[in-house]
Amino acid sequence: MKVQEIMSTNVETVMPNVSLRAAARKLSNFNVGALPVVDDGKLLGIITDRDVSVYAIAIGRDPQNTEVQTVMTKNVITCYEDQNITEAAQIMEAHNIRRLTVLNRNDEIAGFLTVDDLAPVSHELAGAVLQAVTPLH
Amino acid sequence: MKVKDLMSTVVEFATPTTSAKDAAHQMHETHVGALPVVDDEKVVGMITDRDICCKVIATGHSAGRTPLDEIMSKDVATCFEDDDIGEATSLMVDKHVRRLVVVNHDNKLVGLLSIDDLARGSHDMASSILEASAQLH
Repeated sequence: MKVQEIMSTNVETVMPNVSLRAAARKLSNFNVGALPVVDDGKLLGIITDRDVSVYAIAIGRDPQNTEVQTVMTKNVITCYEDQNITEAAQIMEAHNIRRLTVLNRNDEIAGFLTVDDLAPVSHELAGAVLQAVTPLH
Repeated sequence: MKVKDLMSTVVEFATPTTSAKDAAHQMHETHVGALPVVDDEKVVGMITDRDICCKVIATGHSAGRTPLDEIMSKDVATCFEDDDIGEATSLMVDKHVRRLVVVNHDNKLVGLLSIDDLARGSHDMASSILEASAQLH
């Protein structure tokens, strides 16, 4: 089975120069945990609900006056939409993550693949990914 | 298998008067995404990194002046440490949650049980929880 058959394609993005507060509003309003940071069609990073809250506060940043690009994760782990889901699960396990940014072969964002997407088609793959990630209680 | 065989026993916690800012620092330093909120030795709530994102950062409130009492979830899904993990799984499926507060029979906090912990015991149980919560949205 290919990643594109089970990935979520409805992906909201955010610009690198918006404030953490604006990103938090988007994360809240769209009921998502992560947003790809995109400028001029190029993927620059990922920002999560944890980055704009726990991480930003821990490093003493003001959410109104700090840009997304200062706290985003720049090393984005990706897979391609036409890859097999077993390969994608292996990438997640290897990097201890439960969400992959999915690209098409033009390196444009095509979607997200999460452990939630894996569970309905394979308990084994989803379970293995969960087991590999560092427990975040 | 019992809940206590899989749960995480080292549990950080906060109090209702702890500020969102202090809770964020605590979550950052201890690498956790959720803290039980304890008052007079009883669990009265749960606070997550996402709560701080959506209820403090997104709304423009001051993290230093927002006590957890104002933003925590007060309906906390709880199980006993000697419950069977099958019962705990059913509770997570029914309540659409991914972690449970674990108490002993004196109702004192003894641990947390997350889907990551469950995955170490059963990929099927952990995945069934993901499937149940995926049906929500």
